[in-house]
Amino acid sequence: MDVAGRIHEQLSKCGVRLAASLPDDWVAPLIERIAADNQIRHVRVAREAEAVAICSGAFFGGVRSVALMGATGLLTCTGELATLNLRHQIPVFLIVSQRGSIDDHRIYQEVQGRRTIPLLQAYDFPYHVIDRPDDVSSIPDAFETCRMQKRPFVLFLTRRLVKGEGTA
Amino acid sequence: MRAREAIELLARHRRDAVAVCALGMAANEWWAATKSEDSFYMHGAMGFAASFALGLALSLPQVPVWLINADGSLCMNLGCLLTEASQAAQNLKHFMVDNGVYQTVGALPVVNDGRTDYAAIARAAGFPHTHTIEALEELERQLPAILAEDGPVMTVLRVVPEKGFLRTPPMTYEGPEMKYRFGRALERRFGIEVFGPQGY
Repeated sequence: MDVAGRIHEQLSKCGVRLAASLPDDWVAPLIERIAADNQIRHVRVAREAEAVAICSGAFFGGVRSVALMGATGLLTCTGELATLNLRHQIPVFLIVSQRGSIDDHRIYQEVQGRRTIPLLQAYDFPYHVIDRPDDVSSIPDAFETCRMQKRPFVLFLTRRLVKGEGTA
Repeated sequence: MRAREAIELLARHRRDAVAVCALGMAANEWWAATKSEDSFYMHGAMGFAASFALGLALSLPQVPVWLINADGSLCMNLGCLLTEASQAAQNLKHFMVDNGVYQTVGALPVVNDGRTDYAAIARAAGFPHTHTIEALEELERQLPAILAEDGPVMTVLRVVPEKGFLRTPPMTYEGPEMKYRFGRALERRFGIEVFGPQGY
C-alpha cells in the first residue's frame, strides 16, 4: 500500500468521518484517496480557514474530522486557529505538508520552512512530524493527543515521506 | 426593519433549530432574544461562522441548523458561499443581517457602501433558494415558506443601521465554558457523544 493509502487507513482507524481540504501537491494524493471513500464526507474549501471552522463545527456534531492543506495554507489560518480553537479549546487535527525543508528546493516555500515551527511554538500548538512510512502508525496517538490537548494539532508530512528519497 | 426586530422574529420561529451566530451584533442580539445554550456564539474567526455552521449541519443532517450571519462577516469570507453551495446541506439556513455597517465597532461603513447584492452573489454561487427581505411584515409572511425550503437557503435581512455603538450585552459566558455548554446541550438533545468518557 502506498503512503496515502496508509495514512487514509489510519485516519479511518481514528474514526474520521469528515475531511475538509485545500490541496498542496504533496497532500493531493491523500486528498483524492479520501475523496473516493464514501465513509468520509469530503468538503473542498476555498480557503484553509474554512477547513478549520468546518472541522470545529463537526466536533460539536460528534463527528471526528481532519483538515488537509499545505504549509502556506496553515500560515493563512493561524488567526482563526487562535481565535476559534484556542479561544474555545476546540481540538482540530490538521495534516499539513512540511514545505520549505532542506530537500524542498522551491524558493516560494523557504519562509514557510524557516518560520512555521517557531510560529506553532509561539501559539503553543503541538505538532508531530511523519518522515518515514513506518511512522504513519503513530497517527491514532497523534489524534488522541489532539483531543486531549483540546487545541490545534499539526501532523506534518515530509517530502521524503510523500515523494520518496532523492533530490527535489 | 431593525436588526433586533428581525432577530426576535426569527427566534420566535426557531422551534428545534440549532443556531450558529457570527461574532458581534448577530451573536449579541440572538443571545438577547433566546438566552439559548444550544446556540454557538462565535467570539473570533470573523467570517467563518458560515463554515462552522456547515460543518455542524453536515454532521447532524437531521437537525435544522441556522446560521445568523452579518454582512461584515460574510464580506471577510465570500468564498464560504461556494463551499456551502457545493455541499448542498438541506438542513442549513443562512440568515444574513445586512445593515451596511460594522455595527459593533461604531457603525463605520462596510466595504462597497451598501451597493452589494448578497442574494445575487449567493444565487450565482449556486444556492438554490435566495431571498432579500426589507420589512418585518414581509419577513413574518415569507418565513414559513423559507423554512420549508430545502437548504442551503440564503435569506438577506436588510435592516437599518443603528447610530453608533449597540449596547446589547454579550452572552454571560465565554471560551471553554461556551464549548462545554453548547456541546453538552447537543449531547442531551440528540443523544450524540461530543465529549469522550473522560470529558474531553
